[in-house]
Amino acid sequence: MTEPPSSGSPGATGAADGPSPDSGRPDGIAYEVPPGATPTECEYCGRPFDSEGLLALHRGRAHASAITDEERTAYEEAYEAESGRLGRFRLKALAVLVLLYFGLLMVYAVV
Amino acid sequence: MDRRRTPTVAAVRAVTAVVAALAVAIAARPVLAHGGSLGGAARESLSVPTWLMLATGGAVVGASFLLATFATDRSALDWLVESGRRFALPAPAALRWAAGALGVVALVGIVVTGFVGPSDPLSNPAVVIVWAGWWAGFAMSTYLVGNAWPALNPWRAIAEVLPDVGREYRWTLGAWPSVAGLLVLVWIEVVSPLADEPRVLAVTVLGYSVVTLAGAVVYGTDTWFREADPVSRVFRYYGAVAPVGRAADGSFALRFPGAALTGDRLDGVDEVAFVVAVLWVTTFDGFVATPGWQWLARSLVDLGYPTAALYPGAMVVGFGAFFGVYLLASRLARRTAPTYIASETLARRFAPPLLAIAAGYHVAHFLGYFLSLTPALVAAVTAPLATVNPGLVVVPGWFGGVAIAGVLGGHLLAIIAAHVTAFDIFPGRLQAIRSQYPFIAVMICYTMASLWIVTRPDVPLPYLP
Repeated sequence: MTEPPSSGSPGATGAADGPSPDSGRPDGIAYEVPPGATPTECEYCGRPFDSEGLLALHRGRAHASAITDEERTAYEEAYEAESGRLGRFRLKALAVLVLLYFGLLMVYAVV
Repeated sequence: MDRRRTPTVAAVRAVTAVVAALAVAIAARPVLAHGGSLGGAARESLSVPTWLMLATGGAVVGASFLLATFATDRSALDWLVESGRRFALPAPAALRWAAGALGVVALVGIVVTGFVGPSDPLSNPAVVIVWAGWWAGFAMSTYLVGNAWPALNPWRAIAEVLPDVGREYRWTLGAWPSVAGLLVLVWIEVVSPLADEPRVLAVTVLGYSVVTLAGAVVYGTDTWFREADPVSRVFRYYGAVAPVGRAADGSFALRFPGAALTGDRLDGVDEVAFVVAVLWVTTFDGFVATPGWQWLARSLVDLGYPTAALYPGAMVVGFGAFFGVYLLASRLARRTAPTYIASETLARRFAPPLLAIAAGYHVAHFLGYFLSLTPALVAAVTAPLATVNPGLVVVPGWFGGVAIAGVLGGHLLAIIAAHVTAFDIFPGRLQAIRSQYPFIAVMICYTMASLWIVTRPDVPLPYLP
C-alpha cells in the first residue's frame, strides 16, 4: 500500500532557490551535534542523524542510486515502519480535529 | 484622511471577523471604512467573549496545521513547488525604462504637491498617492502579482545616473541596517501625522531620499537596494509570496502563490530578523493604541522613564521579544523533530512562510482601504493642485469576506509552505511534521496576540505631541 518512492526524489526547492537538500551537495544546511551526543552518520555524505531509521530513510532518498541492496531493504523497512507510525499520528490528528470542532461548537452553543 | 495607524489594526479586525463568522455564522463586519471610524465598529458586531474568540483564532491555525499533516506524499508536495511556467515580457528594457520614469515623475510630484498642494489630506496628491496608491495599492501588487519595485523604484533610477563611490559594504552588517531602517520608518509613521499633514509627509520623503541616494552613491546602487534599503527588502520579500517571480536563470516564471517561500532564500539570521520585523511592526502599530500600552507607558513615565524614548524603546524591546521567541522555536524544533540540523538553518528555512501571514494581514486591511480611496486617487492624478472632495467609495458589506479570505489565506499559505519546506529538509515524514510543532505554537500565539490587540478599546496614543 505504502510503497516507498522508487528513486531518490530530488526534494522540493523553489524554482529559483538553490540546490536541493539531501543530495549530498553543499545545500546551505548546517549541522550542529551537541557534545556528548552519538549520532549515526551517513557513510555517503557524512550527515549526522538521530537514529538508524532516519539514516535509512535519508540513504534511500538521497543516495538511491548508490546504496547497496541491504541498505535498500533497510530503507524500505524504515519507510514501512514510518508509514505505520504516520497512520497512528493521523488517527490522533483526526481525533483532535473532531474534538476541536465539536468542542468549540458546544462552547458556542452555551456561551 | 484619518489614517492614524497604517498597517493593520483593521486587518487584525478581519481576524476577529474570521472568528465571528466561523463561530456564530453572523454577518461578520470587519472595519474597512477608514475615514475616522477606526474605533469600535468591529467590536460591536461581536457577541463572543474575548477568551473564546482568542481560543477560536488559535484553534483555526492549529486545525489548519493538522489538516496539512494529512498531505505526506512527497511527489505531490514537490509538484506544488516545481510546477511553473516560464514566460517573457515584451520589450523588457523599454518597460523598465518607462517604469523608472514613472517612478521618478511620481516622486517629484509627491514632493512638490506635498509642499504646495492642498492641505486637506484627501485632496492632496502626495498623501493620497503615498498611502492609497503606493503603500496600499502597489504593496498589494507585490505579493498578489509580483514585485515590480526594482523597475519602478525612483531612487534606484536616480541613483543609476549618479556617480558610484563604490565603497565596500561591510558584509557583516548584512540585513541589520535594513531591519533598523524598517523599525525607524514605522516608528516615524506611528508617532508623526504622516497621513494628515502633507508637509510632514513631503519632508519625510525628502529625508528618505537623501539617505537612500547617499547610501546608493557610497555603496553602489545594487548593493544598497539589495542589502540596506528597507523598502526594497519589504517588497522583495513580499514578492516571494507572489505567483510571478524570477526563475534561477532570471527569466520570469508563473508559479503557485507562496511556492518561492519554500526555497532557501534567506542568507542568514539577519535576514530572518527582517522577516520577523515585518510581522512585528504590524503588531506594534495596533499595540500602541491599546489601553494596555497606555497603562504601561504611564507607569514607565511615572518611574522616570523619558517620554521621548517610550516608542523607540517599545519598538526595540518588542522586536527583540518576537525575534527571541522565533529563535527559541527553531531551537526547540531540533528537539521535537528530532534532528541535528543547526537551529540557524531551521530559523532561515522556516521564516519565509511567515511572509504569507504578513501579506494576508496587509491585504485584509488595505484592499478595502485602497478601493474606498480610488476616487481620491483618480482626483490626485487628474487634478493634482485642486482642493476637491472626491468622497469615498463605500465598500459593500460582503466585502468583509474578502478581508477574511486574505487573513485565512495568508495563514494557510504559510502553513503549507512550512510543511513543504519541512518535507524538503527532513528525511522522515513524521520528523518533518514534528519539526513544525514549535513554529505552529508560535503562530497560534501570534494570532491570539493579534486578536487580543483588536479586542482592546482603541485609545489615543499617549505622550505624543
